[in-house]
Amino acid sequence: MSASARRVPGETRARPNFIWRHLIEPYLYISPALVLIALVMVVPLVIGLSYAFQSVVLLRPSAGGWVGLANFAQLWGDARFWRALGNTFWWTFGTLVFQFAFGLGLALLLNTQFAGKRLVQALVFLPWAVPTFLTALTWSWLFNPVIGPLPHWLAALGILSEPFNILGDPALAMWGPITANVWFGIPFFAITLLAALQSIPGELYEAAEIDGATPWQAFVKITLPFLAPMIAITVMLRTIWIANFADLIFVMTGGGPANSTQILSSYIFTTAFRKLDFGYASALAIALLGLLLAYAVVLLALRRRFVRI
Amino acid sequence: MARMELSSLAKRYGQVEVLREIDLTIEDGEFVVLVGPSGCGKSTLLRMIAGLEPISGGELRIDGRRVNETAPRDRDIAMVFQSYALYPHMDVARNMGFSLEIRGKPETERRPRVAAAASTLSLEPLLARLPKALSGGQRQRVAMGRAIVRQPRAFLFDEPLSNLDAALRVDMRLEIARLHKRLAATMIYVTHDQVEAMTLADRIVVLNGGDVQQVGSPLDLYDRPANRFVAQFIGSPTMNILPVTLDDRGLPRLANGAAVPLEGLAPEGVAGRIAEIGLRPEHLVPGAAEGALVSGTADLVEHLGSDTNVYVRTEDYGTLVLRVHGHHPVRSGDALHLHARPGAVHAFDRDGLALPRRSR
Repeated sequence: MSASARRVPGETRARPNFIWRHLIEPYLYISPALVLIALVMVVPLVIGLSYAFQSVVLLRPSAGGWVGLANFAQLWGDARFWRALGNTFWWTFGTLVFQFAFGLGLALLLNTQFAGKRLVQALVFLPWAVPTFLTALTWSWLFNPVIGPLPHWLAALGILSEPFNILGDPALAMWGPITANVWFGIPFFAITLLAALQSIPGELYEAAEIDGATPWQAFVKITLPFLAPMIAITVMLRTIWIANFADLIFVMTGGGPANSTQILSSYIFTTAFRKLDFGYASALAIALLGLLLAYAVVLLALRRRFVRI
Repeated sequence: MARMELSSLAKRYGQVEVLREIDLTIEDGEFVVLVGPSGCGKSTLLRMIAGLEPISGGELRIDGRRVNETAPRDRDIAMVFQSYALYPHMDVARNMGFSLEIRGKPETERRPRVAAAASTLSLEPLLARLPKALSGGQRQRVAMGRAIVRQPRAFLFDEPLSNLDAALRVDMRLEIARLHKRLAATMIYVTHDQVEAMTLADRIVVLNGGDVQQVGSPLDLYDRPANRFVAQFIGSPTMNILPVTLDDRGLPRLANGAAVPLEGLAPEGVAGRIAEIGLRPEHLVPGAAEGALVSGTADLVEHLGSDTNVYVRTEDYGTLVLRVHGHHPVRSGDALHLHARPGAVHAFDRDGLALPRRSR
């Protein structure tokens, strides 16, 4: 053992074994984090996913057990699922389009100079701080013709034939929660897009102006390309969030009338916690998860293809 | 090609006057450098000419036409920014052709013009790159290329070289000079660097505190500065200023009693008005103790190779600078007696205005 006889101070005392030093030891150091992540995320996810392949109905505890793809077969033939899926698209993209359009407009306005800018900025971001429950209640009252002004205004404008509650009309009910959600979600786009706008160097606009660009050309050729990364990421996040976000619908319409505002996530919630059928609810959730994952992949691919900054 | 006339041009931010009554005519094809310390308003003046800053007073005419209210895009002027302001999401070719793209020129017209500008500036191998993949000097050339492609009436440069290292700055300076020679276009160039000003300009406009101090050719400014500010701003190291007193015969004398050599000055202008004299470092020579204007001890000696700058501590005038040739044997701690080269003395009155020099 001549090596140990000539030990120098500061020399490593770890075992000079390749497998130990490169394949085992590093993972021991990060194992606390890995264990924590596994406990908090992976384990519940796997258990939840496994429900989709079992019969888990709390009202019939004896009927449990693995059922293979039976839940998915039931889902394929479930008219309420397809209806909820259609409503989810309507709800998600109806909300997203208006939230984005108004949010971008607001961000562009807030990016100019005017007196009282700080105060207006603070006020604009207020809806974000209002609890969802309060938002939903307030809007459902606003749509109520007995106490709210909106039906009367809509009737006066000729949009409604008479002041009735649109939340009670299967053809129009979805617009109630969408309106509330638009109001609620504009600040998110305004904040994030304003931050992106403020990061665009002012000199680029001066250079473009000298190069001969009109304000519209500057917007299309400079502002939009700069905003593109932020737009891609916020639109993706918001889509997933809105598709999963059933609070407003739940408080304002409860999915009714006649399931006309039932979206997938509210259907999942109802299935799991009203009918206590966790197996089928989990199958529904996997369907939604699959759709959102596919959407995210497409959006990220588009982003990589078109965004050059 | 453009002739620019600035008459009583002024810029105010609220109560603060940034530029006062600027009168200047820039001839077609002339290279004019606006120079001054930071905050003197030179960049503001350039931005007013570009149309990026509104004009508060006076009139700006390009080729006889008033353009005070004309938008930048209608002035047909190109500008190179200090930060280059390249569009980071466009490759070099598109950056250079952007002004043509904006004007709806077809690809078939854009491509040859971009290619021509790129070959002038040796940018051909870089045309497909994004700005982030370029070095500082390359970005600078792209910014110039973007200006050239347009074939504008005039070029504006806003401290274009200040973000480059010293060696590159010299290269780019030559490139700009060559460009001006080749295009023979009107160019207005803002800098705080007097070397750039001296080397590039047909005429230099020295600005300070919102006023034009002097307009003239580089050598004019060096030989006949209008006032003490210009005298000290142009030339490096800066001119030494020595206060003088008048003896009972009204002749200016230095602190040690030596008479001021006045041969370069017009005698009628000097009498009774002279308060200070100015001596450039290169116009001071060490010599015998007898008849010296001022004596002192060499404090610091800076060897530049071609020249040596010697900082001399004197009893009466603080530290003076003189420049001697590169292999002069002077050392720190040596006693020096300084004389002026004949005809090299500048003189200023109590208000800092230069006294007239003999015409040569």
